[in-house]
Amino acid sequence: MNWIVRLPFFVVLMGLGSCAMLVPAAHAAVTGDYNTMRVFFYGFILCGFLTSLIGLATAGHAPVSVARSQLVGLLAAFSVLPLMFAVPFYEALGNTTFLNAWFEMVSCFTTTGATVYDTAARLTSSQHLWRGLVGWMGGLLVWVTAVSIFAPMNLGGFEVRATGGAGKGARGSFTQIGRIADPSERLVRYTLSLTPIYIGLTAMLWVGLVIVGEVPYIALIHAMSTLSTSGISPIGGLYFAASRFWGEVLIMCFFIFALSRLTFSRGLIGESDRGLRRDPEFITALVLIGTVTFLLFARHFVGAAEGQTAASVRQIAGALWGALFTVTSFLTTTGFESRFWGGAATWSGLNTPGLFLIGMALIGGGVATTAGGVKLLRIYALYRHGEREQARLLHPSSIGGGGKDARRIRKQGAYISWVFFMLFALSIAAVMVMLSLTGVQFETAIVLSVSALSTTGPLASVAAETPIAYSGIPDAAKVILAGAMILGRLETLAIIALFNPEIWQR
Amino acid sequence: MKVIICGAGQVGWQIARHLSGENNDVTVVDSNPELVRRATDTLDVQGVAGFASYPDVLDRAGARDADMIIAATHSDEVNMVTCQVAHSVFSVQRKIARLRAQNYLAPSYADLYRRNHLPIDVVISPEREVAEAALQRLAAPAAFDTESFLEGRAQLLGITIDDDCPVVNTPLRQLTDLFSTLRAIVVGIRRDGALFAPSAGDQIFVGDDCYIFTDTEDMNRTLEIFGKKQEKQERIVIIGGGNVGLGVAQALEARTERVRVKMIEKNREFAERAADMLDRTIVLHGDGLDSSLLDEANIATADAVLAVTDDDKTNLLASVRAKEMGCKMAITLINDPTLVPLMGPLDIDAYISPRATTVSSILRHIRHGRVREVYSIGDAEAEIIEAQVLGTSPISGQKVKDISFPEGTLIGGLMKQGKVIRPTGETRIEEGDVIAIFAMSEDVPEVERLLQVSIDFF
Repeated sequence: MNWIVRLPFFVVLMGLGSCAMLVPAAHAAVTGDYNTMRVFFYGFILCGFLTSLIGLATAGHAPVSVARSQLVGLLAAFSVLPLMFAVPFYEALGNTTFLNAWFEMVSCFTTTGATVYDTAARLTSSQHLWRGLVGWMGGLLVWVTAVSIFAPMNLGGFEVRATGGAGKGARGSFTQIGRIADPSERLVRYTLSLTPIYIGLTAMLWVGLVIVGEVPYIALIHAMSTLSTSGISPIGGLYFAASRFWGEVLIMCFFIFALSRLTFSRGLIGESDRGLRRDPEFITALVLIGTVTFLLFARHFVGAAEGQTAASVRQIAGALWGALFTVTSFLTTTGFESRFWGGAATWSGLNTPGLFLIGMALIGGGVATTAGGVKLLRIYALYRHGEREQARLLHPSSIGGGGKDARRIRKQGAYISWVFFMLFALSIAAVMVMLSLTGVQFETAIVLSVSALSTTGPLASVAAETPIAYSGIPDAAKVILAGAMILGRLETLAIIALFNPEIWQR
Repeated sequence: MKVIICGAGQVGWQIARHLSGENNDVTVVDSNPELVRRATDTLDVQGVAGFASYPDVLDRAGARDADMIIAATHSDEVNMVTCQVAHSVFSVQRKIARLRAQNYLAPSYADLYRRNHLPIDVVISPEREVAEAALQRLAAPAAFDTESFLEGRAQLLGITIDDDCPVVNTPLRQLTDLFSTLRAIVVGIRRDGALFAPSAGDQIFVGDDCYIFTDTEDMNRTLEIFGKKQEKQERIVIIGGGNVGLGVAQALEARTERVRVKMIEKNREFAERAADMLDRTIVLHGDGLDSSLLDEANIATADAVLAVTDDDKTNLLASVRAKEMGCKMAITLINDPTLVPLMGPLDIDAYISPRATTVSSILRHIRHGRVREVYSIGDAEAEIIEAQVLGTSPISGQKVKDISFPEGTLIGGLMKQGKVIRPTGETRIEEGDVIAIFAMSEDVPEVERLLQVSIDFF
């Protein structure tokens, strides 16, 4: 494994991406889609060759700061690597522009899942598989890099709990620390420990979905997009899935991996955590889901009571489940819509409560999971801070309890969360302004910018009054949105950290 | 008895003083030669300067033929190691250690102090005992001193007699006739600073401090008869968030009835620790003497203020200020016994003396016979000794009137087969009874002799 460590991070990712092209090629060979098979296989050869050349040229390259080079590599992975993914996709599809193909790949790789190909039938099954696979790999990349690159640098949500400043590594003044582990070693170690879990969980969900009656290939893509929270579907959404209610229940169970990182990477980072039941993120998520579901349900209920139709128990249960599933799905920034969601909305006779879903997507899932958004831990920190400030109104000199960790979250954690929140809000505003400049309508611009920054692509078709089609927006807007997706995936703080003098100064 | 006391701090000093006063062979070990010299100068003790846990230092202190070692240095770990060394190297029979850290005292780890693990016979924790004493004071706000005996079925109450006391100027004999069903006995009276055991003909005057031994069930009635009212306490302010304050607050939080506790602590770190460990208590950071902070703690409507910082003067002043601002009752922790006479003029209702409680808890383990509890009253002027009567003791099988108790001695209570009775002259003391005796300090050896195994046992 030593030679991998010597290669630049980006080249390793390129290599993996090239190898991944074999999967749709093999699938196409089996299904008899020979055009796609050929293109993807050639893509594998071309990209593999390119990777080897670059790998040979850059092997042994010793960057000034390994941490910075990895951060740059990650930025490149989300912006440049989709170009490579787009080549075979563009060739295989034949009737699209390269810009659209690139946008599609950026959207998949950042686990956003926004698609410009509205009619699912336009793509062959192998091409859909490629979309799902790219999204799935993006999810894995986020899992691994969150603990191996972001955690040591106190970024990506880890800064809320960290003792040091955001964007700084663990460079203490302890004399007994003679050597800090090379970030590449850490990357390899976490990759080896997290990949089996990721693959195993995906396989479990796949098998489960097949058992409840899903078509195997659709089940695989749905499983991959659930684990990576990309929300990619080869059939235009969960609404058309053959697994129906039980499939939704199963998928719902796997949303938990986007709510708290403790569900899969417990103990990997040397933090003292108190188990999932007392994990602030998990509790915040449960409270949010519970409250919003109840509000939506009660709202439906009031709406139905005002009307004349008497609701059957079945309808009520359907409405409740629809709200619960959809809310959870958007909180994890997956963006699957329950088949009961639309029914629940029409039954109450009220408009689709898209604003709720926009809010949920903005909040996002847990730190170091595949979910995007502001992240639950930051919301929790802000909530705790607010609560504490209220207590201080009553007793100005009182001291808050809960332990050192809780105090740090309330003070420095809330501060940095607030900074992040403002950056996020400013990003939304900036993206909206830019979108408006390209001629997109105001409301559409709101929904699109939130959906891109929170990496919840399907938001566009659910949240707005009338579904927004990505295919209908101008090319310039697509480029802006792709940039927003990368920004939302990497988080603004990480990009700002690139300009941290400590990282680029020798 | 040869006793080695490690650590000449507050607790060690008091124990040394107490034990040397009872003709024990006491050696004090402390790492500070200055303290050792002061101990040898003022008390009838020997002194060794050195680090208490070093075997050679203990050897010099005479650990080879010592009967008991009391490790009361500032460091828990030193105390533990001292006991271990005393056990392993010198085979000292009885080992007492003071442990302050609550982490060492968790009941789930009590196994640690077994003979083959960490050989400590008795673990004493002054902070915990003081916290308990504070809680007892809170339970009987009208009394200035309280302690429970006979498995909690009897209480010793210290009551100051006011003008409105209905039984003032009445001989005690008459009181016994008046309240024949009341199971309470006046065991000691402090008049003009002097403590004595009253006889049947003595009267109670206004201004006396009475020590009354009463059945727990009759406690409220006793307080009423002596002109005190029992009030419910819902709002309590604790000044000082050290181990004592924290212990009290935790115990108050554990109560079923709702008590609103506010704590004031000056040290930020201590305040944070207290806030972490307490759930409902509001911890305020600042000076307990600051009137604006006391105002924030809503002292005017508080039922009681508990000043338990480590500084006597702060405690006194904070209590006075709290009372002046409208708090109904003040309980103060006082280390220096010479400050006790100030309680009256300063209008402080009750005080806790940490060393009295600590010394009591250590004495309990030093006394001979089946002594279960010893409580030291005042400035070690008298003791209440609770002991089980052995079959071989000279008082076993005798009627109370036939026992030759010394002058300054009174039987406070007697428990026969789990029932507390009020002893009269005709009561016969039998084997297995638990007896609580009030004895002036000079009579303690004689009482001990009465409770001890008699010579014909051998």
